[in-house]
Amino acid sequence: MRQRRVAVTGLGAICALGQNVPEFWKGLCEGQSGIGPIESVDVSGLRFQNGAEVRGYDPACYFDSSRMDLLDRFAQFAVLAAREALRDSGAVWTPELRETTAVVCGSSVGGQNAQDAGFRELYKLGRGRVHPLSIPRIMANAGACHISMEFGITGPVYTLSTACSSANHAIGLAFRMVGNSEVEMAIAGGSEAPFSLGLLKAWEAMRVIAPDTCRPFSRDRRGMILGEGGAMLVLEPLEAARARGAHIHAEIAGFGMSSDAHHIAQPSVEGPVRAMRAALRDAGVHPQQVGYINAHGTGTPGNDATETRAIHEVFGAHTHQLAVSSTKSMHGHALGAAGALEAVATTVALREGILPPTANFTTPDPECNLDVVPNQARQAKVEFAVSNSFAFGGLNAVLVFRAHGS
Amino acid sequence: MNDSVAEKVVRALASVKHLPRERITLESSLQDLGFDSLDLITMLFELENEFDISIPDDEARSVSRVRDIVEGVKRLLAATSTDLAAPAD
Repeated sequence: MRQRRVAVTGLGAICALGQNVPEFWKGLCEGQSGIGPIESVDVSGLRFQNGAEVRGYDPACYFDSSRMDLLDRFAQFAVLAAREALRDSGAVWTPELRETTAVVCGSSVGGQNAQDAGFRELYKLGRGRVHPLSIPRIMANAGACHISMEFGITGPVYTLSTACSSANHAIGLAFRMVGNSEVEMAIAGGSEAPFSLGLLKAWEAMRVIAPDTCRPFSRDRRGMILGEGGAMLVLEPLEAARARGAHIHAEIAGFGMSSDAHHIAQPSVEGPVRAMRAALRDAGVHPQQVGYINAHGTGTPGNDATETRAIHEVFGAHTHQLAVSSTKSMHGHALGAAGALEAVATTVALREGILPPTANFTTPDPECNLDVVPNQARQAKVEFAVSNSFAFGGLNAVLVFRAHGS
Repeated sequence: MNDSVAEKVVRALASVKHLPRERITLESSLQDLGFDSLDLITMLFELENEFDISIPDDEARSVSRVRDIVEGVKRLLAATSTDLAAPAD
């Protein structure tokens, strides 16, 4: 079957750097850090205090009270990002389009706030019942369902959960469906709201959270910083987008997946190498054509060194011509939303010819010998960019983006 | 050696890795015992529960031999009892 080229025609995002794409992009370009003391949860009994929360977020600005009752914070973020992305796309709904549009969302932990509140009722307050809307709030597919209902989208709608790779898997599979002519449009991305005491305690016990901030690829990096938010992309066949005169931000050119089959928490070099190679092969792109990588770059000692080795293995001598940055240094690690925020960052970077930096960078690490665009955004016209997501469990998902008009 | 602490540490390590206690000596390294990153965090959790202490991440990263762990636990226990003994002024 002939593969169609796939355009990105709409973008939406909400995260610690802002509640829409222009705010998000401004923060990225300025190298702002959205990381600060966690406010939504009492963290006085926690070993870490900082996170990348969406501050000043008031759901009443976006939802009427009956819908607020039904949507956990993570589902609200999904809907808000989808609204912005669809508005941006200028897509005009017809009955046919509603039937041939897909919604594919990623989420790692679903409705944590609702779950934590229910458990608190039972185990701490000793009450005998939890809120009757707990299940519809908690289920990880709630975000995708609410997008489907709000816009009357009746095509394939689903959520997938592959921890920190969820959104890249979601965008990649939506890209496949559009490319294979299974659907005529897709809304794809991810959302997450992991700031509940129960989940923060679980991350604390994992001992991978930095006590200060997220410094990917720095020698003195001490771990990741959790983030939250949502981001969505509207994908359409390139020809159809051109025909309707849509504004095309960029193209998605390829997608690759692999599994390490190695360890539930320790990354390997080989798995990411195979995913990056598969994505480049799918895009029909030589490593030498790539100019920018939005790294997984969590800021843990293990990930950044392993990812660096994988990049060197795939790109060889060309690695020295590559700019590689981790925007998690600014928006934190939003788990199932991470790949979607990074896909928006990568798309706008290609469109604007500006590469977002790795913020909070202090000292180079010989184990991370990459050009990490330290602290300052950089002007650069790039044709192809790669966005990496690697998850606990060894699940790797890599997207290749192409600047439009190149 | 005082060695209810050492004894308890060895017991915790043995339980995490499902090893016979005789295999673990003060000179054993966690690497020799086959500990990976998940075994390490599980061990820290067991020790925190056993001794009612909080082991900071930085301290946790620096240990490699069983002896280091026993000494680290004793140091944290001593710090805790000093805190308790300090006058509340």
